[in-house]
Amino acid sequence: MTDLMIDAADVSKAFGDVKALDGVSLQVPKGTVTGLLGHNGAGKTTLVNLLTTVLPLDAGGATVAGHDVTTDGHEVRSRIGLTGQFASVDEQLTGLHNLVLIARLLGASRRQAADRASELLELFDLAAAADRKVDTYSGGMKRRLDLAASLVGHPDVVFLDEPTTGLDPTSRLGLWEIVEKLVDDGTTVLLTTQYLEEADRLADSITVLSNGQVVAAGTAAELKADIGQRTVAITLAEAAAAPEALAALRRAGFSPIHDEGRRAMTIPVDAANALAAVVRALDDANAEVAELALHEPTLDDVYLTLTHQAAA
Amino acid sequence: MTVATTTPQTNAAPPAAAARDWGGSSYPSQIWVLTGRSMQALKDKRMLIMSVVQPLIMLTLFSQVFKGMAFAPGFPQGVDYIDYLMPAILVTTGSQSAMWAGAGLATDLKNGALARFRTLPISMYSLLTARSVFDAVRNTIQLSLLLVGAVVLFGFNPAGGVFGTLAALLLALIVGWGLSWLFMALGTWVRNLEVMQMIGMVAVFPLMFASNAFAPVESMPGWLQAIASVNPLSYAIDGSRSLALGDLDAGPILWALLISGIIASGGALAAGRGIRKP
Repeated sequence: MTDLMIDAADVSKAFGDVKALDGVSLQVPKGTVTGLLGHNGAGKTTLVNLLTTVLPLDAGGATVAGHDVTTDGHEVRSRIGLTGQFASVDEQLTGLHNLVLIARLLGASRRQAADRASELLELFDLAAAADRKVDTYSGGMKRRLDLAASLVGHPDVVFLDEPTTGLDPTSRLGLWEIVEKLVDDGTTVLLTTQYLEEADRLADSITVLSNGQVVAAGTAAELKADIGQRTVAITLAEAAAAPEALAALRRAGFSPIHDEGRRAMTIPVDAANALAAVVRALDDANAEVAELALHEPTLDDVYLTLTHQAAA
Repeated sequence: MTVATTTPQTNAAPPAAAARDWGGSSYPSQIWVLTGRSMQALKDKRMLIMSVVQPLIMLTLFSQVFKGMAFAPGFPQGVDYIDYLMPAILVTTGSQSAMWAGAGLATDLKNGALARFRTLPISMYSLLTARSVFDAVRNTIQLSLLLVGAVVLFGFNPAGGVFGTLAALLLALIVGWGLSWLFMALGTWVRNLEVMQMIGMVAVFPLMFASNAFAPVESMPGWLQAIASVNPLSYAIDGSRSLALGDLDAGPILWALLISGIIASGGALAAGRGIRKP
């Protein structure tokens, strides 16, 4: 038996002329959380759809829980749970009925299904709403029920596609705790997210996707050390001074990152004494600085650096 | 001692083992469970009541407006118009109701219930079959209530008696069931309730009138006669009528069954493909 619960090699998928994924490889060891980072349209959801057998892949190959997604989809589907970006629950049924239905389809007896459903409703704090139709649920309740629905069959691999989008901070924390508990029990999790804080907290390793390709992979610490840099964050007093300040910084050998029209800019720096050089360059440009701060690398920097590189 | 040693073992079993023990569900049990899910819709009595009231209104109007048809050329001698009309109403109502199978599927596809089923180890054909089984059950209830209404309110009492009438009902149900696969196929490709209803109206309504449902084909202008005599609904109506009127004519019955079978198979193939589209 392999230790890899997800093993994708050179996976590609196109929608018409648009290449959603272009030669993506991903390996997720058992009992770990891998965070899939990327902006909208980077290919995160497409990759999840391929790995969960919702979509067929065009090229490459992938196994999930040791089963080929192309030839053994049925077996894959009996080992996974998926929580997508939109709640996949039947709004005309009660919360309880939704979970019982899934358990029954997975082969549970009536009794087993009812037990599992109540257990999950309890875990997700939905017991009080168990007998209400889902169309009366709030958005957060629907997402919790959706997550519960993906866990009914005790899946080996759980796919969470932006699970906390639209959740309030308390619910988000609660969900993080549930994910941590799942992993403690040996479940493998693939998590897509746009929240770097979420990836930093939950993910053992992180894969960054951009335009359908993997641009970086490693632990959060590795990525920060390799790609993330100390940065100097500057806010100018006036946006009009930005072009001149940027020119002066570039002459001084820096590569400032700046969105046009904004007062703020970020300057990756290597040496500790670079701060003085930055200040001198800004002084040369006669740019009035409203705010200046030295930042240790964060996942945000890693992400921004990578996606800016990829876009360039 | 033995108890003390075995208990920790059962507790230590990894939670993942539980799902493996469930071992998946067979096709019949998938269909059973999914049909049960659809049955929830019957709890909303309003839909069922409306689905009976609407054809009763049609029956009222047609039986009065078209009463004169009993003197039209080709009209069977000595038959009450209501006895002539009712078997046709069974067929047209059953056909119209077939649209609801497609509409229900389109709704599932839209609201995410199907996205969940796609990630489960179940056959998509179980899902489609469950829909069609539910549709057949609902249709049986609807047409039976309609039949009772016709007997009580309009004195429907055809020469074929109870057995002939039940056979006519059965044929109408089979035709509706066949069509339900066509509408399910449409539902998986169109995926929009409003558009589905439009198509249902546009497709079924002309077929209803350009048939022998309300008047003998012989009474129509030539071009309409041509359409009505190739209209598949005409065969179903002829068959249903011959059963109800106790004037058995195997030809149209067999044609109706054959055409329904072809429509159901074609629809099933198309729906099976369509439902897999993301």
